[in-house]
Amino acid sequence: MVKYDSVGVLGGGSWGTTLAHLLGLNGQNVLLWLRDEKSCQELNDRHLNKKYTNETLISERVTATTSLEEVALRCEIITLAIPSHAFRKVAYELGNYLQADQILLSACKGLESKTYARMSSVLEEETCCQKIGALAGPNLYKEILSGHPSATVVASSFHEVIWKSIEVYSSKNFRVYGNDDLAGVELGGAIKNVIAIAAGIMDGLNYGSNVKALLLTRGITEMSRIGIQIGANPLTFTGLTGVGDTMVTCTSPLSRNYQVGYCLAKGETLESILENVVTIAEGVNTAKVLHDFAQSKGLEIPIIEGVYQVLYEKRDVMDVIFESMQRKASWEIDPTFTADA
Amino acid sequence: MRAEDKARVVEEVIRRVWTEKIEDAQKGKTPLHTVINDTVYHERNRLSAEKKSKTVRQSKQYWKRVNKELLSASEEKQKEILKELVTLFTKEIVGNFNDNVYKFATGVLPVGLSVLLNTISPRVLISHFPRLPDISDRVIIRGEVEQIKALHKKGTVILVPTHSSNMDSIVVGWALHKIGLPPFAYGAGLNLFSNRIISYFMNNLGAYKVDRKKWNKVYKDTLKEYATVALENGYHNLFFPGGGRSRSGAVEQKLKLGLMGTGISAYINNLKNNKEKPNLYVVPCTLSYQLVLEGENLSEDFLKETGKSRYIIENDEFSQVRRILNFLTSTLRIDSRIYVHFCPAVDLFGNRVDNDGISYDNRGRKVDTTRYVLVNGEVDHLHQRDCQYTRNLGKKLSQAYLKYNVIMSTNIVAFVIFKMMKLNNPGLDLYSLIRTGEEEWTFSVDEVLLALDKLMNQLWSLEKNDKLLMDERLSGASTQDVLDRGLRHLKVYHRKPALLRKGEAIIANEPKLVMFYHNRLLHYGLEIE
Repeated sequence: MVKYDSVGVLGGGSWGTTLAHLLGLNGQNVLLWLRDEKSCQELNDRHLNKKYTNETLISERVTATTSLEEVALRCEIITLAIPSHAFRKVAYELGNYLQADQILLSACKGLESKTYARMSSVLEEETCCQKIGALAGPNLYKEILSGHPSATVVASSFHEVIWKSIEVYSSKNFRVYGNDDLAGVELGGAIKNVIAIAAGIMDGLNYGSNVKALLLTRGITEMSRIGIQIGANPLTFTGLTGVGDTMVTCTSPLSRNYQVGYCLAKGETLESILENVVTIAEGVNTAKVLHDFAQSKGLEIPIIEGVYQVLYEKRDVMDVIFESMQRKASWEIDPTFTADA
Repeated sequence: MRAEDKARVVEEVIRRVWTEKIEDAQKGKTPLHTVINDTVYHERNRLSAEKKSKTVRQSKQYWKRVNKELLSASEEKQKEILKELVTLFTKEIVGNFNDNVYKFATGVLPVGLSVLLNTISPRVLISHFPRLPDISDRVIIRGEVEQIKALHKKGTVILVPTHSSNMDSIVVGWALHKIGLPPFAYGAGLNLFSNRIISYFMNNLGAYKVDRKKWNKVYKDTLKEYATVALENGYHNLFFPGGGRSRSGAVEQKLKLGLMGTGISAYINNLKNNKEKPNLYVVPCTLSYQLVLEGENLSEDFLKETGKSRYIIENDEFSQVRRILNFLTSTLRIDSRIYVHFCPAVDLFGNRVDNDGISYDNRGRKVDTTRYVLVNGEVDHLHQRDCQYTRNLGKKLSQAYLKYNVIMSTNIVAFVIFKMMKLNNPGLDLYSLIRTGEEEWTFSVDEVLLALDKLMNQLWSLEKNDKLLMDERLSGASTQDVLDRGLRHLKVYHRKPALLRKGEAIIANEPKLVMFYHNRLLHYGLEIE
């Protein structure tokens, strides 16, 4: 008889720490894996992770560890809150200790740059586990740490993954919905980061609310176009991980991707933003992945393409906006979305 | 199924299906009355569409009686009726395998498949075709032969070939015998039993009967349970996950995994019962034909609402003795080949296994597969989870089918011609292209050779990157040679030759067949422009 005594979270950044804290508040014993010895000690001694979550006291049920093996041995459910560029490496290392009954959740809203892979695919490739899912939604960590009501989605092809994740993560302030469209949920979470950069740019230029509504709604259309290509259900994009996450990221200055766009509009360079303002903004990498993907499939995604051009081709923001507004007139509802198409 | 196991297996299948239905009813799922009523409804419906015969009349009377009994049946009586129905279906499904006949069929007759097929009508054969080539020169066995031989001793093997022709089961049966393996149990469509002589051999090559016209749930559950119990009893099984022969001619990518799912059920039962050899291994297998016996009928059916209208073809080339003989003589004379490629084995979860039956993940780490089937720390069934494992396995099978698909000259030449037809008529959909396209599709040999050259480069590059396999006879062949080979085969056997050459022109004589052979190269992203 196999027995596990804890729930695991990998990644001691702001989101990983928040998820561990949420689980702790729910009465779970939590093992939080991070690389940094000092942060590990700080969490275990003082229940703080000052670098990422300031003075917020993290649940006493959270134990920090630097051993992946310990997490793999003791946790049936392990959530990986690791940025996309480091995700595969950590998944591989974890894979050395995993058994086939364990449940892995990705909490990373990004795509792998070289392979275009979603994080769930990376987990499938790097471990023996198949019970894999993703956790995504409109979840700003500061609001969650403050105890404000919030909702998220757990997606997996395995219902067991959904129900067990709902059981450990749901609480009075954190509502968890299930969805079996794993591709759609992961994609929504990743694409909205690019839309958020565009939203930040618009706010940086003080363009007001109309254009934000334009970005949000047309962004969802672009999401759906990409999603259909990989077999996602376009309806998923109308839910928490599509409209919901895009809305919160596009309207909140707390979002890192939004901040990238905002600073770009104020004339800062991408390099200096990534050095001084935000260390990780998944949308920057995702914009390139989506650009390449759209090129290979002949997809029209003008907002994402515009962000790509500003980020990677160093094009002037005003030129890009002007150009995209002058595009040929077209119908609002994409004919490929209709039922009989 | 061996005689000594038969009674026990039959009893076990009946017990399981019957108990499950009763337990479901007790849990408030489907009442027994509804289960029986549903079965009666489906069976009467099915029979009303059948041709009139004595058997059909008797069956109709039987179901009428069941229906009448059900009207006033107490709960106990309903249980009794259900048991009767499950028993009826189980007995119908179970085959009549006989070791002695098997030895006779495969051993005593030395030329194997050809003679087996020729027994359909030996007199016709002898009088018309006295010198038929030996089939063992024509059916080429490749791939992981040693692995399947090793694994069949370590556990139970599920062989899952691609499906192009009704000859497949016979070809595979012959190939298994040739490499020294015992016969595999095989769920054969009832139509294959329609010829008495074939039926005799089917029964004795391990086949059990599957009536694909029976849609009622009790029948389908009985069939699955029979496959499960057979696997648990160590009977190696042959499933065609394509769900019928490929109508389009393409390598199957959308698999029907109903019967495949029995693998996991059997594995879990084996673990729970502490079986000595609980493991099951899945061996994908590609069957690649230079010419397909039923090519005309299959492609025609594909075009008619992509196969839906006549899902079960009963009167195609396979049911016509002369067509089989014609196929054999005309194709075997021109060095036509059938490749049987045994792909690397995987476990039920899609992991690679070695010859000792040990599973490995993508990074080469050993996997304890019993952990996949735990529920709260104990081995148990979990329906949705197990279905999902089977779907994941299905994806691995689809990948293997493409990777080990052997590309023949007929596919290559047909691909080039069909692509050229499409390029010349960019606005036409498939149906219009074939039905209402040009009266005569003619291409110059030079333009075909040019396109063929481009295609061959892509194909060799794909083979180098382990994305597909090429017919080994094409190694070192010039483009002209490939064209000649393709044309030589495509002009024989079919009633209307697929392609013809007239001087410096190549004519797409039967576009649907050109499409059919072309489709084998779909899914590789090949272009000729």
